[in-house]
Amino acid sequence: MSSRMSRHLKIGLIVLAVGFAITLGLFVDVIGRIQSMVQEKEPIGNPFTPAPAPLYEQTDPPMTVKVFFPGMKDDIILSAEDQTIRRSGELANRARQILQKVLEGPKSLSLYPSIPKDTKLQEVFIDDMGMAYVDFSNTISANHPGGIVNEQATVYSIVNSLTYNLPEIRQVKILVGGAEKETLAGHCLLLPLGMDLSITDITPSKEQVNHAD
Amino acid sequence: MKRVVTGFVFVTLAAAVLFYTRSLSAADTDFLIYFENSTLALKSQTLDRAVYLPLQEIVRHLGLASTDATGVMTFTIQGQNSRLVLTPGSGFISYNDQPILLQNPIRREGGQWLVPLDFLSQGLSRVAGVEFRYRPGTRRMFAGKVTTTELAMNAQSLGALTRLTLRAGSPIEVDLQKETAQRRAVLVLKGRAIDPARERLEYKDALVQSVEFEDSDGMPRLLIGMAEGVRDIRLTPSDGNRVYFVDFVREVVSEAATPTTPTASAASTARANANITAGAGVRVIVIDAGHGGIETGATNSGTLEKDVTLLLARRLRTALQSRISATIVLTRDSDIDLTSEARAGVANNNQAGLFISLHTGYSPDKMASGSSIYVMKPDFTGGLSEPAGGRLFLPWYMAYRPNAAASQTMAQSLQKNLIEALPESKFPIRFGPVGVLASATMPAIALEIGNLNNDTSVKTLLDPDFQTKFTAALAEGIGQFAAGGRKQ
Repeated sequence: MSSRMSRHLKIGLIVLAVGFAITLGLFVDVIGRIQSMVQEKEPIGNPFTPAPAPLYEQTDPPMTVKVFFPGMKDDIILSAEDQTIRRSGELANRARQILQKVLEGPKSLSLYPSIPKDTKLQEVFIDDMGMAYVDFSNTISANHPGGIVNEQATVYSIVNSLTYNLPEIRQVKILVGGAEKETLAGHCLLLPLGMDLSITDITPSKEQVNHAD
Repeated sequence: MKRVVTGFVFVTLAAAVLFYTRSLSAADTDFLIYFENSTLALKSQTLDRAVYLPLQEIVRHLGLASTDATGVMTFTIQGQNSRLVLTPGSGFISYNDQPILLQNPIRREGGQWLVPLDFLSQGLSRVAGVEFRYRPGTRRMFAGKVTTTELAMNAQSLGALTRLTLRAGSPIEVDLQKETAQRRAVLVLKGRAIDPARERLEYKDALVQSVEFEDSDGMPRLLIGMAEGVRDIRLTPSDGNRVYFVDFVREVVSEAATPTTPTASAASTARANANITAGAGVRVIVIDAGHGGIETGATNSGTLEKDVTLLLARRLRTALQSRISATIVLTRDSDIDLTSEARAGVANNNQAGLFISLHTGYSPDKMASGSSIYVMKPDFTGGLSEPAGGRLFLPWYMAYRPNAAASQTMAQSLQKNLIEALPESKFPIRFGPVGVLASATMPAIALEIGNLNNDTSVKTLLDPDFQTKFTAALAEGIGQFAAGGRKQ
């Protein structure tokens, strides 16, 4: 009787242990999936890829640009700050330099950075119709603190900084992690957007009024 | 030990046998078949978990020729050019010598032929040339060209009153009969072939005990069991008699009389009752609680935007229900994530007259107090240039355009009321490419309240007094806009 009991006990324990192991395995797998979804790792740079081509030549003349940053006051969401880039031959390189300035944040203490820290500019492409496709790393969306005004500030600091300084760019389409996204962080549509100076402290020139969508 | 196990097994078996025999036993209930010009009431029987109807009565009502051959145990129904033969104990019936398999067998008990419900749609409809429509779980069937009126009902407690909302697919007349002695109210629905979405409402509160649909005698009506506290019942038709509000009031409030020393709550109840029909032009208002689920929105040490917006949306619903006789729908009433399109879709699909999306703000400036009213950017083209002859179809993100002006008017109405109630904030009206507003086909605004990066603002947002004040001002603004001529 007791040996049968102990055999039953053993079988029971084995079944329990197997069940527990399967559940644990599933749990670890699910946790892993969630973690990989939440923090998508930036791809590790290949050490054998050649160094990126410089965005400008030393001989390129300097160019003053207006870079837009959040600085809220009543109707104004964005304030312009003068910064200097080099007038490089290629339009996309000028766009990259401007976006680099947007990513670095403002010099003035009264203004705030518009893009979450650690966000990287992955790609810029400008088509013949004057549409600039700018691709940022996932952090621009995942680490965005939220708020409609704040999100509008992020989106238009990119759109206005490009369209105001580079008239060849008529509209900007923001991509996140190489893909299209409905909204940046639940509020602002990421469809192609034109310049909007009504939310800035800059009065548009006649040419720019015609240029906006 | 062995005894305990045997006892347990015995008790379980006994319970199972009891349950099985109960389900087998015939439970007599009434079943209705609505025909175009008549109604047939039948005694149905539940046998082996299937509902059975007496065949001879149906055949007689339809005026079909039939032969009950007791010798060979068959029942034959003759149509114009067709013949249907039934044999007891078999799920097979023969239609013009072609076999049809039913889910449950035909039965013959005590000289009576009993047929399962699917016999009517599978077999009888072929010989009779009449279609039978049946919704599982109900006690009625609709035959032929009978036009049914769908009836949806829901109940909500609004503090001093409980409101039962009836929504019919087509205009109906409702007659209220108060049977105060029996603590019962009967709503006679003067329309034939009413098809209720639910037979009874799973709702019970301090005033309403039960709501049940009853039509066993062919007269559709709602039986409402009331509690002792009900002093008055008011019936308000709306939307061309498609919607009825039945209010069960705890105490009779005289609308003209104003108490000499009014308490805040009594005054607000009186005002709520006085204004209750305001905004009758708007049938449905959809409130969107921003974010939800994995999308928490802005955060501040444990305070999540998704929770604050849901709380405010629920409060706003209550505030609106006591002011406006419109149905208030929330895009989400739990912690779930929805896309912007899905949120606007709730408003579009419910044919809402107003759409309002609630959000909390987040400013990098820790001192800012936030709060803005957002309207969709009016000149937003989403990258498309306007064709010369106008558009035949609007892309989804331009659905807001026909109501752009009305959205601005609504924003101004809300701004006025909000500034009056909460003068510390300016509530500027802003324009932006807000996803949730783009595809809404009615006046729509997004409201951003407070700044989650400002601890003082967070405290204010979580303060119930502030929430009441804010939602009351908002509801007042919505009511004024709705009454101001926005008709559907």
